Amino acid sequence: MDVASCEPDAFEAVFMADERFHSEGYKEGYADGSHAGVIEGRQYGALRGANIGSEIGCYLGFALTWQHLLHKCTDEKHSKKIRVLESLIGMIKKFPFRDPTYDKLQEDLEKIRGKFKQVCSLLNIPSDLRISTERSALTF
Amino acid sequence: MKDSLTLLFRIPAHPDSRCWFLAWNPTGTLLASCGCDRSIRIWGKEGDAWVCKSVLGEGHQRTIRKIAWSPCGNYLASASFDATTCIWKKNQEEFECVTTLEGHENEVKSVAWAPSGSLLATCSRDKSVWVWEVDEEDEYECVSVLNSHTQDVKHVVWHPNQELLASASYDDTVKLYQEEEDDWVCCATLEGHESTVWSLAFDQSGKHLASCSDDKTVRIWRQYKPGNEQGVVCSGTDPSWKCVCTLSGFHTRTVYDVAWCHLTGSLATACGDDAIRVFEEQQLSDPQQPTFTMTAHMPRAHSQDVNCVAWNPKEQGLLVSCSDDGEMAFWKYQRPEVC
Repeated sequence: MDVASCEPDAFEAVFMADERFHSEGYKEGYADGSHAGVIEGRQYGALRGANIGSEIGCYLGFALTWQHLLHKCTDEKHSKKIRVLESLIGMIKKFPFRDPTYDKLQEDLEKIRGKFKQVCSLLNIPSDLRISTERSALTF
Repeated sequence: MKDSLTLLFRIPAHPDSRCWFLAWNPTGTLLASCGCDRSIRIWGKEGDAWVCKSVLGEGHQRTIRKIAWSPCGNYLASASFDATTCIWKKNQEEFECVTTLEGHENEVKSVAWAPSGSLLATCSRDKSVWVWEVDEEDEYECVSVLNSHTQDVKHVVWHPNQELLASASYDDTVKLYQEEEDDWVCCATLEGHESTVWSLAFDQSGKHLASCSDDKTVRIWRQYKPGNEQGVVCSGTDPSWKCVCTLSGFHTRTVYDVAWCHLTGSLATACGDDAIRVFEEQQLSDPQQPTFTMTAHMPRAHSQDVNCVAWNPKEQGLLVSCSDDGEMAFWKYQRPEVC
């Protein structure tokens, strides 16, 4: 065997092994990491989405119930409350639930939260819906 | 410059406590002060001296951060860290708490009455600004909850003759709000300060707004209406606000308050370096790029942070200040002949 002719290849394979394994490891690690990240992101997104959905759903149920209760009263002084309730319901119905990439998602969500607080203030109800001190407050 | 600001009186308004804020009634005859001792004191002039006419206690559970007189002078609103705002009604010399406004989740930081007297604004550490409507029977109704800021809201102030509201926040911005189709909306965000904006003041015309900040500067913003000659871009029919002047290099610590005298146009500041300063716009300066000169500087005006400065609305040059040391001071400001 001609030692001189195969030596550079063997030498190079050993010499470059470090770099090669590093590069392979990086690629594998990157792929694994991306995969794990997608799963984690998906879980986080699902959780956040569910939270927002349950928060807004709660507001909608609350508003529709009060709208129903107040519609029975013909009292003039309730007209303002009904108007604000209708405005809250309208904002929720316009909210694009199916589009998580909607760029004003956070902004619109804050407006809905503000409107909900205004409704609570007009109805004289604490906005955390705390009925008594023993029961835990409503948090999202 | 040394003689332009002279001390008239110094009063331990809230002893062993901080004195947070001072407010003149619209006729300039009464001064209200508030502090960490959970009390409001009403001061009036008797002879040459300012004396305490009444003490309003028992309205709040925690620090009273700010107070505001209604434009008619018959009501006083107080914002407290106990998350409520109290409305006090004046009956001759006495004040009675007639309403407590609840709704904010935590510390209420500021309160302001609109020039019409029918709207009240409050702001809080809960990042929201609330607008309340008052009817003839002293009933308060929330007309809007504005969640535009991303941090603690420090101060609210109304435009002197329009229904335009401004708020300052820990998120380093100033926001402006107006009513649009039955609801209030944020119509402008003023960005430029590099740290918390602590206070705001409109000039007498309402065309300029001064803001002061933890970044040790005061900024002057000017209103530009759509179609302005200077070509400042406006969106739709809303005016736009542009920073036309930054007062930097004068203050060595946080500027906590700014007050614009509606009689003379003098601008006073309260600073964390214990000093009070007064600025005047140079008469021949370009309105698009005004320059301000410091015409008075009172180092060690107080022994601790100066929290508030307020010009008397009727008597030219009468300035009051208050501090963490619990004291308030009355100053006579002599405007220099040449600015």
